[in-house]
Amino acid sequence: MSGATLARVGGSHDRAAARPRLSNGMASVAAALWLASLAVGFGVLWRYKSTPGGQGRPPVQWPAQSAIFRNPNGATLLMFVHPRCPCTHASISELARLLARVPTRLQTHVVVAEPAGVPVGWTDTELVQRAHAIPGVDVVRDEAGREAARFHAIGSGLAVLYDASGRRLFSGGITASRGHEGDSFGRERLLAALSGKPADRDESPVFGCALSSGPAAAANRGT
Amino acid sequence: MNTTDDQENVVDTIVRRAEERFQAHRNQILRATDRLFAWLMAGQWIFGILVALTFSPYAWEGKTQSIHMHVWIAIFLGAAISSLPIALALLRPGWIVTRHVVAAGQMLWSALLIHLTGGRIETHFHVFGSLGFLAAYRDWPVLVTATAVVATDHLIRGLVWPESVYGIVNPEWWRFLEHAFWVVFAISILMVMCVRSLKEMRLIAERGAELEALSESEWRKTSVLERDKMEAAVS
Repeated sequence: MSGATLARVGGSHDRAAARPRLSNGMASVAAALWLASLAVGFGVLWRYKSTPGGQGRPPVQWPAQSAIFRNPNGATLLMFVHPRCPCTHASISELARLLARVPTRLQTHVVVAEPAGVPVGWTDTELVQRAHAIPGVDVVRDEAGREAARFHAIGSGLAVLYDASGRRLFSGGITASRGHEGDSFGRERLLAALSGKPADRDESPVFGCALSSGPAAAANRGT
Repeated sequence: MNTTDDQENVVDTIVRRAEERFQAHRNQILRATDRLFAWLMAGQWIFGILVALTFSPYAWEGKTQSIHMHVWIAIFLGAAISSLPIALALLRPGWIVTRHVVAAGQMLWSALLIHLTGGRIETHFHVFGSLGFLAAYRDWPVLVTATAVVATDHLIRGLVWPESVYGIVNPEWWRFLEHAFWVVFAISILMVMCVRSLKEMRLIAERGAELEALSESEWRKTSVLERDKMEAAVS
C-alpha cells in the first residue's frame, strides 16, 4: 500500500471519526430499541416453542374397536401424526432414535391422519416417507380420523405405548418443545416404560399440529 | 550533535509513520469486515425466511392450513436481529461498538436458525462458522462478546426453560458452562491468531515506514545533487 493511499484512508477515517453519521446518543437509543425488540421476539418464540398442544388422554385399555394390530406377545407403540405438520418431523426423528435404542423388536405403528374430503395423495409427504424408512415401523392411514378418535388423540406427535395385555404404559410427546429435536423427558419416560424401569410420570406434553379441525383442535391452537 | 539529533528525528518519524500505517491498515480491515457482515446479516435474513418457507410454511388443523409461526418469526425477529448490525456497519463502520453488536447479532442468528431448523445438530455448526468469520476482525475481544452471548442465552434458557437446552427439567446449574466450554475451546486458537495477525500487521507497518524514510532520504540526496549540477551549469 502506498503512502498516498494510506494517507487517503487515514484522512477519510479521521473525517468519519470527527463527524459520525450516527451520533453516540442515537446509537444508544437504537441499541435500547434493538435489545427490547429482541427480548420481545425471542420471548414470543420461546413461548410458542414451549406451549404444548392438546394431547387428549388415550384410554387405559386398548380400545376393542381399533383395527390396528396389537402385539399380544409384547408391547405396541403408536404414534399419531399429521402428514403435513412440520413440527412432527422432530417427533419422527426422535422415534427413529428411540427405536434404535430399544433392544427388543417393538410393534410400532405410525398412524397417519387422513381427514375426510382430502384429495388423493394428500398423505404422500416427506414426513410419511421418513416414517416408512424407519426399520420395523408399520405406517397406517387413519381415514376420517377414526383411530385418532378411538385413542382420543388430538395432537400430532402423540406416542402411546401399550403392553401385551393392552394396558397403557405411557402417552405423550417425545420432543422437548415444538418441532425441536434432542433429549426430552418424554422420550426418557417412554424408554423407562419400555424397559420396565420406574419413571416420575407416565405422560408428557405433545407439541404438534391438530390432527383434525373442529372443537378438539381448539385446544391445539398455536401450531 | 546535529547528526545524532537528525537520527533521533528520523527514528521518531519512522515510529510515528509506522503507527499511522498500522492504524490505517487496521481501520481498513475493520471497515471492510463491517461491510462484509452487513451483507451477511442481510443474507442470513433472506436465508432464514427461505428456511422457514421451505421447512415449515404452514401449520395445520386437520385439512386447514395457516401460515406457520416460524415464517413470521423469521421475517420479524430476523429483521430485528439484523437491523442494528447493518445500520452500524453502514453508518459507523470501524467503530468498536459496531463489531461487538455484529458479534452479538451473529450469535443470535445462530440461535434463531437452530430454532427454525428444529434443533438440528448440523445447524449448531453455524455457531462455530460464525466465530471463524468474526475472527476476520482480528480483534479478540469480539470473540469474547460472541461467547458471552452464547453463554447468556444458555444460562437464561437453562434457568427459565431448561428442557429446551438440555432436554431434561432439572439440569445441574453449571451445565451451561459445559456448552460454553466448546465455544471457548474454538475461540482460544482464534484469539491467538488474532494477536499474531496484529503483530504481523505492526511489522509490515514498520517496514513500510522504514522504506518510506529510506525512499525519502534517497530522493533528498538526488534532489541536492541535481540542484548542485544545475547551479554548476548556470555558473
